Amino acid sequence: MVVDKPKLLWQLVFEGTWPMAVCFLENGRRLAAGNQAGQIYVWDLPETPPAFEAPKNSDRKAPDLPPVRRLDGHENGITRLLPTPDGKTLVSASLDRTLRVWQPADPASGSAEAIMDIDQRKAKAKRDRKDESLTAPGVKVDTLGSVATLAGHDDWVLSLASDREGKRWISGDMSARVIVWDLAERKEVRRWSGLSWNWILAVAMSADGGTAVVSEARYKRDDFDIPSAALRVYDTGTGQEKLDVLKTMFPKYKPDDTSYGGGQVWRKFVAAGLVAADMSPNGELVALGQGGETDTGKVHLLDVKTGKVVREVSGHQYGVTDVKFSADGKYLLSTGRDTMLRICQVEDGKEVAALGSSRGGQFKDWLSALAISPDQKFVAAADIAGLVHVWSLEG
Amino acid sequence: MNWGALTHLDALADEVKKRGKRCIYLFMNGGASQFETLDMKPGRPTGGLFRPIASNVAGTQVCELMPKMARQMDQIAVIRSMRTSEVDHPGGIYLMHTGYRPTANVRFPEIGAIVAKYQGREATDLPNFIKIFGHGGAGGGFLGPKYLPFEISPEGQLPTFSASSMEPARELKRHEVRAFLEDRYVRERQSEVAAMHRESYEAARRLQNAHQAFKVDQEWEKHKALYGDSAFGKRCLLARRLVEAGVPFVEVGQSSYDSHADNFAWHKGLVPPMEHAWAGLLTDLKERGLLDDTLVIWAGEIGRTPQINNRAGRDHYVRSWTTALAGCGVKGGMVYGASDEDGYDVKDNPVTEGDFFATIYQALSIDPKTENLAGVRPVPLAPFGSKVVSELLS
Repeated sequence: MVVDKPKLLWQLVFEGTWPMAVCFLENGRRLAAGNQAGQIYVWDLPETPPAFEAPKNSDRKAPDLPPVRRLDGHENGITRLLPTPDGKTLVSASLDRTLRVWQPADPASGSAEAIMDIDQRKAKAKRDRKDESLTAPGVKVDTLGSVATLAGHDDWVLSLASDREGKRWISGDMSARVIVWDLAERKEVRRWSGLSWNWILAVAMSADGGTAVVSEARYKRDDFDIPSAALRVYDTGTGQEKLDVLKTMFPKYKPDDTSYGGGQVWRKFVAAGLVAADMSPNGELVALGQGGETDTGKVHLLDVKTGKVVREVSGHQYGVTDVKFSADGKYLLSTGRDTMLRICQVEDGKEVAALGSSRGGQFKDWLSALAISPDQKFVAAADIAGLVHVWSLEG
Repeated sequence: MNWGALTHLDALADEVKKRGKRCIYLFMNGGASQFETLDMKPGRPTGGLFRPIASNVAGTQVCELMPKMARQMDQIAVIRSMRTSEVDHPGGIYLMHTGYRPTANVRFPEIGAIVAKYQGREATDLPNFIKIFGHGGAGGGFLGPKYLPFEISPEGQLPTFSASSMEPARELKRHEVRAFLEDRYVRERQSEVAAMHRESYEAARRLQNAHQAFKVDQEWEKHKALYGDSAFGKRCLLARRLVEAGVPFVEVGQSSYDSHADNFAWHKGLVPPMEHAWAGLLTDLKERGLLDDTLVIWAGEIGRTPQINNRAGRDHYVRSWTTALAGCGVKGGMVYGASDEDGYDVKDNPVTEGDFFATIYQALSIDPKTENLAGVRPVPLAPFGSKVVSELLS
């Protein structure tokens, strides 16, 4: 990856409910994003954006582009979107308790009208005191269903990761269930559970698919009833635990303690939950982002074998939402509730780019997820304000 | 402090059943969301991420976070048309404990103090008004310190004054000397405050005979599955033990519902243990024959906004929100009132805080129009103009 004067190329409008997941498909000129209503749209990005002049007093800094496809099937929010390495297959995780597999380039099964700018229309209707903008035509998109549904989770699926070849996948839900999948066979190959009360907030898988890092926590039951979080390294072939990171880090850690004091030794490290995870391409490091609404929002870099913290890289005030290593392992990219996408050097933690602009802090939206194009030239971020931002990393 | 339950814990159940009404107030501190509990708006822009499930009452759906209460809906009456007048926490907590807005001139008593006065018993070992991780600081209000709550910690610990650190013989000797001096002082000075102090000491001493009622550990192992393995579940079991032992009013609190951020994650964390305990409590009370005379209130101090803010949160809202009642003659399976399709406003049958408390007092066989004097001013239990929602009561 080369980071040299990144430039904002596109701001794709995706209003209604929040965009929560994004990924590049195929050669990186195709992009998919999913929202909290369970909709997934696909955009084809031209090589060069058109000339664009920002309207006066507008937040808009780059051109929009209508989507070309809608992928229909999920019945509740999309939490993760990941492509296979060839970019031809897309896997989605959802609050509807399923994973779905898509072939976005397959022939369309139908068409529909999509309204991508509903928030702007509502604002206009309110401003003009006329409803015409609400009923104006939208854009025509092709529609397509999924090619497979992977059922097996009994609760919201929050986390998803795969190996480098896209053969083995791992997902985790809010009933503490972790499932390892064989994507080609469309079948479950292993499952295990974390601490019964926890939610699987994030998973990361090594390039060879043999190791997974699983982050668990849950929101408190009460101010005086806060169950323990967990962070473990697993052998995905056997489902056996290889390392209990919190136990290594905090000798007094006892998962059964649920109250303050001794039961909270993990709290400062985990904060409101390590909600984002990614393993470095060489499998030596795992990056873990503190999420929820937290002042610190740190990203920890851990040695996967020892569980020791190597360093803290960047961070997002008010909480991290996503983390990803560049393909060469030199950079760590992260998004957060500070409406920023940050790029840091892994070797020394130095921040080399901060994309986006803070909208004023705690009460001004989040960037909810990020994606890196296969050629490492573009990054995208889903923005709960109803946008998907796309930057060129090389200006 | 007002003390009212029976001395001998073993022969309680039958005796309790013959006596007056009792009340358990499940207080959702911070304000639980109606949209994530009992008044869902599926498919609407305000609906949020959870999905409704069917309940055991035809046509009534509840949030998927409440599968156990879904099977108890025939026991409870849901009020989906609360419209109250204090939108922030301190005022809301005061309001939903007294029925009145805070004022500078009158310190209104909490519902627990009123139930203690009208349904409590004198000169017994257990207090008449107990809070387990309770909220609201109005206490006895103008009824005086006699009706202050006896407060138990979130983890069920009794206050330090409830046990003597002295040898029993020494403590008794000391008590006799103090009682002799205080009695004489009270006689000679006609001092109400001194008399109160004397009573409080007596009550604290009597409480030592009743410590057994507060010990839930043995019973907890047996009932953990029924109430759910949570601190709130344990508090609810303790509440059941206390009303069974004759305590007329117990508040049980659960905190942290103030979900201005991450509303859905917070409710996914908070509601399941709460609803498990609530359902377990109703089952337990019913099986013991106590539900007919025990009112179970479920409420917070406020509801939450229909719109979802850009922290994934819902803010404070009192124009239209939800509470629930069960037991003590409340018609189970009933949904009273309605909010509009997005939950912004009450569509039918608004219920004010005054109406809510008037209905509660009526269910507890306490006339809500009963007046007490705040100085020289007569103050009814429920505010002037409040109406009993008689449709809720059989």
